[in-house]
Amino acid sequence: MAIPDTDDLAASLMDDMDPLLLDLIQTRINSFIKWDLVRFYHENPHTTDTADSIARYIGRDPRIVEPELEQLADDEILNVEELPNMRVFTLTNDVEIRELIGRFIAACDDRQFRVKAIYHVIRHLR
Amino acid sequence: METRRVPTGILGLDDMLHGGFLSETANLIEGAPGTGKSTMGMQFIQYGITECDQPGVILTFEEFPEQYYRDAASFGWDFQAHEAANTLRVIMTSPEVTQADLQRLHGRLETMVNQHGMRRMLVDSLSHFERLTDDPIELRQVIYGFVNGLKRLGLTVILTRENAALLGETPDVEEDLAFVMDSYVLLRYVEIRSAVHKALLVLKLRGSDHANDIRQYAITEHGIEVRSRFEGTRGIMSGSPTMTHAEAFAAAFLPSGRTS
Repeated sequence: MAIPDTDDLAASLMDDMDPLLLDLIQTRINSFIKWDLVRFYHENPHTTDTADSIARYIGRDPRIVEPELEQLADDEILNVEELPNMRVFTLTNDVEIRELIGRFIAACDDRQFRVKAIYHVIRHLR
Repeated sequence: METRRVPTGILGLDDMLHGGFLSETANLIEGAPGTGKSTMGMQFIQYGITECDQPGVILTFEEFPEQYYRDAASFGWDFQAHEAANTLRVIMTSPEVTQADLQRLHGRLETMVNQHGMRRMLVDSLSHFERLTDDPIELRQVIYGFVNGLKRLGLTVILTRENAALLGETPDVEEDLAFVMDSYVLLRYVEIRSAVHKALLVLKLRGSDHANDIRQYAITEHGIEVRSRFEGTRGIMSGSPTMTHAEAFAAAFLPSGRTS
């Protein structure tokens, strides 16, 4: 009898969550910086600002934050607008995405969920 | 011509302003940290939403919206409920972004103001524009353009500004700013007989008469309350007033408690 791969076993345990949230973590909130940014925008949904300012608001290095903001915009979690000499990031107006983010943030209150989410983020970063 | 007034809802201040600020104007509130500038602005917004059916917007350049929710809640004002009802937006942004947004056609701010029928705004604070340029002439032009952009949207605006002078210094009235603004309210700490009081003066109200005396005010559990004028002292706005001749005479020669 074949012994299951320990990585596969761990993955199957860690996949035990709402499939929509699992997909969100695996494909869009797949770094800790993006996690910070999504939480920030969820708590401050009317924020309209540049990467430099957003980086300051979350206490991170702008050089690291900017590409993550761009990826979140590519993934339609954020909107990006061109103003003279600056790019400005805002939270999407898409109601379904906002609700999904709200569910993700609410789920993060649960320690088990957080452990699983962290597992998937680290797995993506490897 | 009858001029439309926008009452602040701040007890005593509307009397000093003869009914409130003028509609679609920019109104500067300047004072030292802790004098209640933001509270005054929040009270103006709260009163507009609850008593005048005038939705409002808060532009914040330094505080997180959460801070406003907490501060407002301490006075019994539920800003989160206002946001849920689309009668309030607390927007965290930076001066350069706001300026660029106002300059374009149908910017985010303009769209939001039109969409929700917003009529009042708190800009907290104007001091952050000072980091855009070291050139005072350019700064004045930037603020002038910013203020006109807001007025173009039909908003009546309170803008706060920090004044570092706490006590004992003559308040530094920015003449350039005073020119750009339609009204100018100055808040000061004053020391009288070893106790610190708060003083308010309406320096200017363009297009209208206003009270010229210096009033005491307090930050109560319901917000700001402007009270009686200071009696028996002079040099209030210097921060360290002295007694008038009559008061000094009374203090020197009359038994304690008697002033005449």
